[in-house]
Amino acid sequence: MPKLIKNGEIVDNLYTWQQDKESAASESAIVPMSKWLTEQDNIGPVAGIWIDAGEGTEALAEIDLNQFDVIGVNFPAFVDGRGFSYARLLRERLGYKGEIRALGNFIPDQLGYLLRVGFNSFQFNDEVDLEKALALHKSFSIAYQGDVNEPRPMFLRR
Amino acid sequence: MYQYDAIDQQLVDERVAQFRDQTRRYLNDELSEQEFLPLRLQNGLYVQRYAPMLRIAIPYGMLSSDQLRTLADISRRYDRAYGHFSTRQNLQLNWPKLEDVPDILAELAKVQMHAVQTSGNCIRNTTTDQYAGVIADEVVDPRPYCELIRQWSTFHPEFAFLPRKFKIAVNATESADRAATQVHDIGLHIKQNDAGEIGFKVIVGGGLGRTPMVGVTINEFLPRTDLLTYLDAIIRVYNQQGRRDNKYKARIKILVKALGIEEFRNRVEAEWVHLRGKESTVPMSEFERLQSFFTEPAYETLDNNPESLSSKLASSAGFARWYERNTFEHKKAGYRIVTLTLKKAGQAPGDATSEQMEKAANLADQFSFGELRVSHEQNLVLSDVRQDQLVDVWEAAKEAGFATPTLGLLTDMICCPGGDFCALANAKSIPIAEQIQNTFDNLDYLYDLGNIDLNISGCMNACGHHHVGNIGILGVDKKGQEFYQVSIGGASGHDASIGKILGPSFAQEEISQVIQKLMDVYVSNRTDEERFIDTYRRVGITPFKEAAYAKAN
Repeated sequence: MPKLIKNGEIVDNLYTWQQDKESAASESAIVPMSKWLTEQDNIGPVAGIWIDAGEGTEALAEIDLNQFDVIGVNFPAFVDGRGFSYARLLRERLGYKGEIRALGNFIPDQLGYLLRVGFNSFQFNDEVDLEKALALHKSFSIAYQGDVNEPRPMFLRR
Repeated sequence: MYQYDAIDQQLVDERVAQFRDQTRRYLNDELSEQEFLPLRLQNGLYVQRYAPMLRIAIPYGMLSSDQLRTLADISRRYDRAYGHFSTRQNLQLNWPKLEDVPDILAELAKVQMHAVQTSGNCIRNTTTDQYAGVIADEVVDPRPYCELIRQWSTFHPEFAFLPRKFKIAVNATESADRAATQVHDIGLHIKQNDAGEIGFKVIVGGGLGRTPMVGVTINEFLPRTDLLTYLDAIIRVYNQQGRRDNKYKARIKILVKALGIEEFRNRVEAEWVHLRGKESTVPMSEFERLQSFFTEPAYETLDNNPESLSSKLASSAGFARWYERNTFEHKKAGYRIVTLTLKKAGQAPGDATSEQMEKAANLADQFSFGELRVSHEQNLVLSDVRQDQLVDVWEAAKEAGFATPTLGLLTDMICCPGGDFCALANAKSIPIAEQIQNTFDNLDYLYDLGNIDLNISGCMNACGHHHVGNIGILGVDKKGQEFYQVSIGGASGHDASIGKILGPSFAQEEISQVIQKLMDVYVSNRTDEERFIDTYRRVGITPFKEAAYAKAN
């Protein structure tokens, strides 16, 4: 069984990241957001959807997101930081409470920031050593800005 | 100046530990070159032509004498006993060893300094007027606002991987813009409205590089309490919608230009609706806390123009010259702002040796309450010198090589390190600066020419701000040969403008002659009160162009 880091632990990956739009969906699939949006009436139950860089979260404004167990955010390259805004918007604006999973080419050294914008699960590429990645699964103990976990900036907490 | 508390200190200490671990993993091949790159960049570490380059932040240009002594000590022990002050209030070390950088950062942290976000595609060091807090006509002291922005931008979790670098500069006076705010991604002008409230005029989308642009106003008056939510809104729009397919089109200026300011403003407003009034709204108590770090030093009650000053001005032409060019009016009677110029002939513009740094630190202790500033024009500033001590400061500054009395003149050039150091450069820039310094060494002539900004960049990235020099020189590569393109008419103040290219580029040895021809056109066309830029704006580029390309008879 493939593994991932979720809520600070290495666990089995129970879902399948379905990258193409053509395959049939299943109850364990994380399907492309655009596929789900066009086929939502007949697609049947899925584990969740995933957002690609460039798609944004606007199209989800009217959707009840808490029907999904997981929402994935893809990083086509680890320097493509759009997903940091997407996760934050999912949590802070769209009120999504479930699992937000980082997918794609992000790297363990980004975990500190990813955790602060609302990600709680991390499906690394195969070559990443999850034990070593787990050692980086923390943010600095101090943050000047508010974030998803603590909305109050430091100036309200000093 | 701002003093770290336990919270600020812990954060920089944790950063040092993090970078030490990242460097160790890189050296052990656990982190790839590609992965280490943005991590080291966000700690100010480039890999240059011959060695790494470490860019140390000097937040909004403020430096204590102890901090400067530490920089002197670090540059002596870990580098070749000098450093380069850049246009964005940073200090660059050109020869550190990669494996020493964690130790250097640890030593910096002990004096409340760091290299956080001095490069990389993130929010960079916030800059401001080097005369902040000591001039009479500013709306308020901009430094508390700069510190607010520094803290907000430091390790901002959402904006560490932007499409491209992001620079913010703050200005607080109508009389001048010494921070080139209009050619920053965001320029903030502190204003007071009719009700007496403090706020910001927000300018967005300025920048240099391949596509130079002057910024446009997105908000005429943003109340200060809303500053951070508004900045969050602008950068969130940029992070999601800025181009990422081409690094030369990735700055916010390209997005603003493509959408038009109306549409860009609408998108920012649509985002801001959700953020305004939320937790990041800055309370009065925080402004007060930050202001409390920038109180006035223990000024004495003094009169302007003491006898010792006026008699020296009358008796020494050299002193009078230095006083006129290199000192500036202070808000307190009996005080003067002194610029220690780093533009001595034979020394690269902005460079200071370790020994010079120590001397400047000592001068600050002796004459200016132990603090210094670093300017956008790559000089050091003693902000609070008693007028009756100016002669002593002048003597000491001369001895240390800080008294070249050319501030604001043709030879007070802005210059990037260029092809002598930088891996990106197409051409060398320091030898051009040297050539101009050697050619234009007659002080009477330089004085007669008056204020002229001459800026030199070794490549299109424009670290030497050539686009906004009254005269700009850009190094270009033509079939492996170094050539120089000359532009005129740029300006970086409130009247910011982008220079126009004169024509085909010149060989290195021709540059001084070309500058001489431009000066001749200016001198023969100017009216009594006109600066070079004014004459250019009146007569246009044609006479300059004709003179520069005229064939010798």
